[in-house]
Amino acid sequence: MTLASDHRTPPPGLAIATPLPDILKKVKPRTGFVGFLRRYPTIAIGGFLLLVLIFVAVFAGYLGTVDPTAISPSRRNRVPSELYWFGTDMLGRDLYSRVLYGTRVSLTVGFCVAIFASIGGLAIGLIAGYVRWLDGLVMRAMDSLMSIPPILLAVALMAITRGSVGNVILAITVAEIPRVARLVRGVVLSLREQPYVDGAIAAGTRTPMIILRHILPNTLAPMTVQATYICGSAMIVEAILSFIGAGTPPNIPSWGNIMAEGRALWQVKPFIVFFPAAFLSVTVLAVNLLGDGLRDMLDPRASKGH
Amino acid sequence: MALLEVENLQVHFRTPVGVNRAVDGVSFHVEEGETLAIVGESGCGKSVTSMSMLRLIPEPPGKIAGQVRFAGRDLLKLSDKEMRAIRGNDISMIFQEPMTSLNPVLTVGRQIGETLRLHQGLDAAAAEAKAVEMLTLVGIPAPERRVKEYPHQLSGGMRQRVMIAIALACNPKLLIADEPTTALDVTIQAQILDLMRDLKHRVGAAIVLITHDLGVVAEVAERVMVMYAGRKVEEAPVRELFSNPRHPYTQGLLGAVPKLGSSLSGESTRLAEIPGQVPSLTKPIQGCVFAGRCAIATDVCRTWAPALEMKAPRHVAACHYALKEAVAA
Amino acid sequence: MLGYILRRILSTIPVMAMVGLFVFSLLFVAPGDPAALIAGDQASPADIERIRESLGLNRPFLVQFGEWAWRTLHADLGTSIFTSLPVTQMIGQRVEPTLSLMALTLVFAIVVSVPMGVVAAWKVGTWVDRSIMTFAVFGFSVPVFVIGYMLAYVFALRLDWFPVQGYTPITDGLGPWISNLVLPALSLGCVYIALIARITRASMLEVLAQDYVRTAKAKGLGQRSVLFLHALKNAAVPIVTVIGIGIALLIGGAVVTESVFAIPGLGRLTVDAILRRDYPVIQGVVLLFSFIYVLVNLLIDILYTFLDPRIRY
Repeated sequence: MTLASDHRTPPPGLAIATPLPDILKKVKPRTGFVGFLRRYPTIAIGGFLLLVLIFVAVFAGYLGTVDPTAISPSRRNRVPSELYWFGTDMLGRDLYSRVLYGTRVSLTVGFCVAIFASIGGLAIGLIAGYVRWLDGLVMRAMDSLMSIPPILLAVALMAITRGSVGNVILAITVAEIPRVARLVRGVVLSLREQPYVDGAIAAGTRTPMIILRHILPNTLAPMTVQATYICGSAMIVEAILSFIGAGTPPNIPSWGNIMAEGRALWQVKPFIVFFPAAFLSVTVLAVNLLGDGLRDMLDPRASKGH
Repeated sequence: MALLEVENLQVHFRTPVGVNRAVDGVSFHVEEGETLAIVGESGCGKSVTSMSMLRLIPEPPGKIAGQVRFAGRDLLKLSDKEMRAIRGNDISMIFQEPMTSLNPVLTVGRQIGETLRLHQGLDAAAAEAKAVEMLTLVGIPAPERRVKEYPHQLSGGMRQRVMIAIALACNPKLLIADEPTTALDVTIQAQILDLMRDLKHRVGAAIVLITHDLGVVAEVAERVMVMYAGRKVEEAPVRELFSNPRHPYTQGLLGAVPKLGSSLSGESTRLAEIPGQVPSLTKPIQGCVFAGRCAIATDVCRTWAPALEMKAPRHVAACHYALKEAVAA
Repeated sequence: MLGYILRRILSTIPVMAMVGLFVFSLLFVAPGDPAALIAGDQASPADIERIRESLGLNRPFLVQFGEWAWRTLHADLGTSIFTSLPVTQMIGQRVEPTLSLMALTLVFAIVVSVPMGVVAAWKVGTWVDRSIMTFAVFGFSVPVFVIGYMLAYVFALRLDWFPVQGYTPITDGLGPWISNLVLPALSLGCVYIALIARITRASMLEVLAQDYVRTAKAKGLGQRSVLFLHALKNAAVPIVTVIGIGIALLIGGAVVTESVFAIPGLGRLTVDAILRRDYPVIQGVVLLFSFIYVLVNLLIDILYTFLDPRIRY
């Protein structure tokens, strides 16, 4: 019987089941780069915005800007026009140039804090998760540090150091480290329970090898997501610190500084505050969208219902 | 008219890898007071079938089609409000996992009383009194104390008794029991089965019993429906099915037929191992769904999906070779 | 249960002690000479010496810390370098507006955000869910003072519904008190609402997938009972945890909000103290806020026992 060759006519006497309809419309699974971007639109939008902003930061000097610190008393408080796209401030400085150069401060602070806090948190988290007798003490210290609201901790740190971008980064990093440390310690502790890590320990694999082979790969995903959020929050904290006068020194144009200077006039010249505010919001939004997208991608369970 | 008539039930789910046709064209009926068992390996669509009858499948990502007629009304066409009036009242359900099926932050009494307050309009005091009564009925000692306790203070068997109490509180006409004993110890299993049989006689509800334990089927059911890969492959009265299984899958489940080409391992009376795996339901299946694991499958089976055919009185099976092979065996 | 509460209360003591140690030792680990820095560039050596003396920087660390801790335990937070007033007195004068703002924001944010998160979880994947989550991302991303200026521009300057700036004590009447706080509370609440709505959604999604929710539905319960009684009560623990942790955001945000809306509270006190490098005041404010934070989270831990019978051991 070679009936299989004929798919049209069934053999006589067979009871054939009637085919059933599709009750759900078929959707083509998305593949490739475009498919990836469509599946994670937040990564696409956030990543695109962030790339544009990085471009702006790097090439701030070539985008039709002038010296952002050049004072010009005759051109004070100009409203936005063709000549001064974002207007000028109370010292006659060109706001377009200041805002564009301000991108550098925000991105530098955001990225540096994210990297340093990740490294510091990773180190502390590994120690706490690995060295049992230190765990209690280290985590208590982290809990205490977390009990101080981050902005206030940064304020206190800034109050006793000279204002500089480096010190701002340091102050925010100190405030963010405990969060990463907790995360890493959590992963280490849960991994220690895993049979394969247990096995590796029992087999006498040296600790650095275990960290390299088992711990680091597993912390990477949650840490990347966490670092993205830290980057966004660091940018906000920098702006807040500069805004209340405890951050980036006034001679460097940062969005927080521009807003602080525009504060006195904001009821009559709201644009001075508006432009840096818009840039800051869009930048943080881009970073947070990227973070949400990364989280969806790396831990799908956390965000979607199914 | 049967109490429950299910016709061409389809339950599909949208998943990232395609549409999962979890249940595809299942029809069956349950008479008043009758016990129907639905058996099959895990993942064959038994639970989805039972949940879709009460429309407990989230839509989306799921979608239910076909007809589920209960006392003449198509449940799939009811409004949400009408459906809620039936759930827990005319049709109630017992789930597989007694450890997780009770709400951990509400007292047992509250969880039993809730149904009564909802469907019978009892006030809080009357509902609690009835809850105590129900706990007594399902054989929980010191019910006055237990109503005030939380689920974590009860053992697994006790929790399943509470689930039964909740299900029976409003005297349902139909009880759907989804693997009610699977998660329990063997001794507790027997107790719960006894309880269900006993209550069935007293309450007179029809039961749809979902299980993969053929021992339970033999003890409790009157009729058996066998499911495989989201389809009904065989249905017969319980004696007939056990003594004369027609479908190779059922035969495999019963371990009644020595597998061709392998050493004789068919002595067991429990679930026998059937080589191979259930096919993926997200991809279209050509021919018979069981062909991939069937010892007697031919090119015909792999090309043409068999329809359910009457193979004996009240006995249907979906297999091109069923009659011949069963007679030969 | 009593043992659990007692243990939790006791465990806050080392945390607070360590917070104190941190805040105090900042002065000693700071690079350079903090006394000179605090005194400012125009200060004479005598001024610097006087500040060094008053901060106790010239004596051994442990002796200093011991004395400082002892004073702090007796509610003595030292003396302001700038005004020479006791820090506790300065804080006392500024506490009311800040607590008013924070309390109002807290209540408003919880009332708004929890239902938002619940609805988002219920309607997961639909446009309702997406809009709520989009709002949440914006709430996270737009800094509190930007929201503040936006709200003030629209609702105070343009529409003139609320005062642009200022604060009226509650003793002068509830109406003026509220109307002055509406915009600040809205701006301060945004990030907090975003935070709570997100965790509520995540926690609800987890709970809605649980077997007991299926049981509740199988009983014939309505959507509202299932969501707000059966599910939310189980989802509550992570939500109140985040409400507690989020207090830190609220505190940080209050400092800025008060600047935007010219509210004479602790935030303004802090900002003024920064500009004058009045470290004892900053120290006092940081300690007070940390104490509030620890206290709130202690209360929340105790609240757990009422939310989840399994914790009552």
